[in-house]
Amino acid sequence: MRWEKWRIPLSLAPTVAIIIALFGGGLLYGGLQSLGWQPLIGRTELSLRAYASLLTSERYAQQFRTGLLLTVWISVTSTVISAVLAVLAALAIRSIRRGRQLSAFLLQFNLPIPHVVAAIGVLFLLSQSGLLSRLGAHLGLLQRAGDFPILVRDRYGIGIILAYVWKELPFMGVIVLAVLQSLSENYEDSARTLGADVWQRFRYVTLPLIAPALVSSSILVFAFVFGEYQVPEILGVQFPRTLPVLAVRLFLLPDLNARAEAMAMSVLIAAIVILIIAAYRWVADRGAQRSGEA
Amino acid sequence: MTAARSRLLWVIMAWAILLSACSPAATPTPRVLPTSAQPTAVAQVPPPPGFGSWQDVLKQARGTTVNWYMWGGSAVINEFVDTFYGDVLREEFGITLRRVPVADTADAVNLVISETQAGITDRGAVDMIWINGQNFFTLRQANLLYGPWAENIPNSLLVDWDDPAVAFDFGFPVDGFESPWSSAQFHFIYDSARMSESELPRSYDELDAWIRAHPDRFTYIAPGPGAFQGTRFVKQALYWTSGGYEQWVGEWNQALYDVKSPALWEKLNSWKPFLWRKGETYPANENELHQLFANGEVDFTITQASAGAGPAIAAGLIPESSRAFAFREYLIGDYNYVAIPANASHKAAALVLADLILRPDRQAGHILPESGFGLGYAIDLDRVNATDRALLEQSLGQLGPATADAAMLAQAFAPDMAPQSQSAIERDWEANVLRK
Repeated sequence: MRWEKWRIPLSLAPTVAIIIALFGGGLLYGGLQSLGWQPLIGRTELSLRAYASLLTSERYAQQFRTGLLLTVWISVTSTVISAVLAVLAALAIRSIRRGRQLSAFLLQFNLPIPHVVAAIGVLFLLSQSGLLSRLGAHLGLLQRAGDFPILVRDRYGIGIILAYVWKELPFMGVIVLAVLQSLSENYEDSARTLGADVWQRFRYVTLPLIAPALVSSSILVFAFVFGEYQVPEILGVQFPRTLPVLAVRLFLLPDLNARAEAMAMSVLIAAIVILIIAAYRWVADRGAQRSGEA
Repeated sequence: MTAARSRLLWVIMAWAILLSACSPAATPTPRVLPTSAQPTAVAQVPPPPGFGSWQDVLKQARGTTVNWYMWGGSAVINEFVDTFYGDVLREEFGITLRRVPVADTADAVNLVISETQAGITDRGAVDMIWINGQNFFTLRQANLLYGPWAENIPNSLLVDWDDPAVAFDFGFPVDGFESPWSSAQFHFIYDSARMSESELPRSYDELDAWIRAHPDRFTYIAPGPGAFQGTRFVKQALYWTSGGYEQWVGEWNQALYDVKSPALWEKLNSWKPFLWRKGETYPANENELHQLFANGEVDFTITQASAGAGPAIAAGLIPESSRAFAFREYLIGDYNYVAIPANASHKAAALVLADLILRPDRQAGHILPESGFGLGYAIDLDRVNATDRALLEQSLGQLGPATADAAMLAQAFAPDMAPQSQSAIERDWEANVLRK
């Protein structure tokens, strides 16, 4: 009996310990450094100087502002496009009778491929001297390879978004498809017999059923993309840079004094992600309540 | 037992391949014995701090492993280091070389910093770092380097420490906390299949005109951490727009910089309509510029190697027809070094390695394009004996056809600016050129 009481805490202990030690420790240490704690160069007093410097100084404010805009733009666009395409793909795969397994495989085959590889793939395929551009020039569609539209290392992060959609669409598709396949089609059949058209069946029957899975996977994707460094490092321009890329660059600056700004940037990234997710959850929960009431 | 034997076999095979694959010139170099000057040299320098004598260093080093952190982005360089230094260390000194590849030297610097912050003061993972400039400055700033030792190793007598280019790293005094490995000088590469030598710009003035006459065909590396070549290109442009480098030598002069830099930004901005991608973005590092050059998107790339385009050709990064060329003026040259962290576990072995890389037979090897570096000598040819001098001069004759005119390079030599210039130029270039 006594043992039973401790069973759950004990089995959770290793996970919690790792999270607290690694994640919590890192966060605490990063937080301290963001406050200017640098005993190595004789700095032990704490201040919010680095945060003020990021938000207002001539040196960082513009980079931070444009970086924040670009990061939000990339994360929102990648998440929305991936979510919409994932739902469409999942619906389509569910409705086909023959070759469903093959389609499901095609949808998810790239899940284990690392993001770096996806980014380099996009670079090789879509850069101005990439495969498509060369093919176009070879076939006479382009006068020279340089006429190919600028899709990677562009100011609007098109290449970055493409790489994310390619990687995240299957992830969300698999989750949505799993939910769809576990649902009975009876609901939709009932709606059909009641005279609901395709759109109504989707909007009022299917969407509410897959919404929880869609919301949680969107949150995962958004939070991941917001803090991801590799893809924008490879496919981004020198300016504007996303916040994670800026943070890493500040961290790598040889001047130890810039360490505080780098850490402040990382803390802000974490804070912004948490805030946006909290807001999103709040809206989603209210929406769920309201549709529940209706 | 079998593992050891297969390892030995592997080493022998690697040697055999190396010896047969190298040009005949490279063959004699690995087996040359230490210089005859060495025994007297041992007596002439006081021992490094913490050791009673150089014999003491050798004794303590025997049987240990030296962890050498260095940029690991080139397979050619990696293999060269493992064999050209690793084999000699094992056979002559009983030291195992463990080369630890890092993507950026700053990673190794950060490791030393993190270890020290975590209280690891005498058993750190890093025994030696290939380093220069800003990263050296960082570790000195935090007082995390062992030393001064660089003038207390026997072969340091072959180094011309009176040369300010050696004694100052980016204008920051070395003070014996790092020892030179090789030298480098900025210059350019073109493709002889695309252009003839007579069309080449030979000064920043001519480059200025060339850029305007050939829209979309030129770009330079964005100045920034990890892309010092870009910063160097812009510094040279500052020498040009401000009317000479002499005024910039020595202590950092912020007032002079504040007066002179606006004209530089104006000039660089005036190039923008004619640059690759209209100056909207720039290649982030040397490899990206090589890639643009190899893809035919731009007409010039750059090199730091005395072997010119050779190492990049050997690495398959740029076409075989690539050739290096120099300007008549403002080409910054400097030395790169090795440093030993204060918390290194195997300082004795690191000292032996630092001494070995200065040995004339090793120096004669690293300058060849096959090494992957093709960088210049760290030692002074006037300080070695006649046999070694012949060997070193023989190597100079084997740099291959892809090199720039050595006399022109020497004529164009300009020293680097004080270390403060690095972050000032990187920051202000971003603010005044990139983000405009």
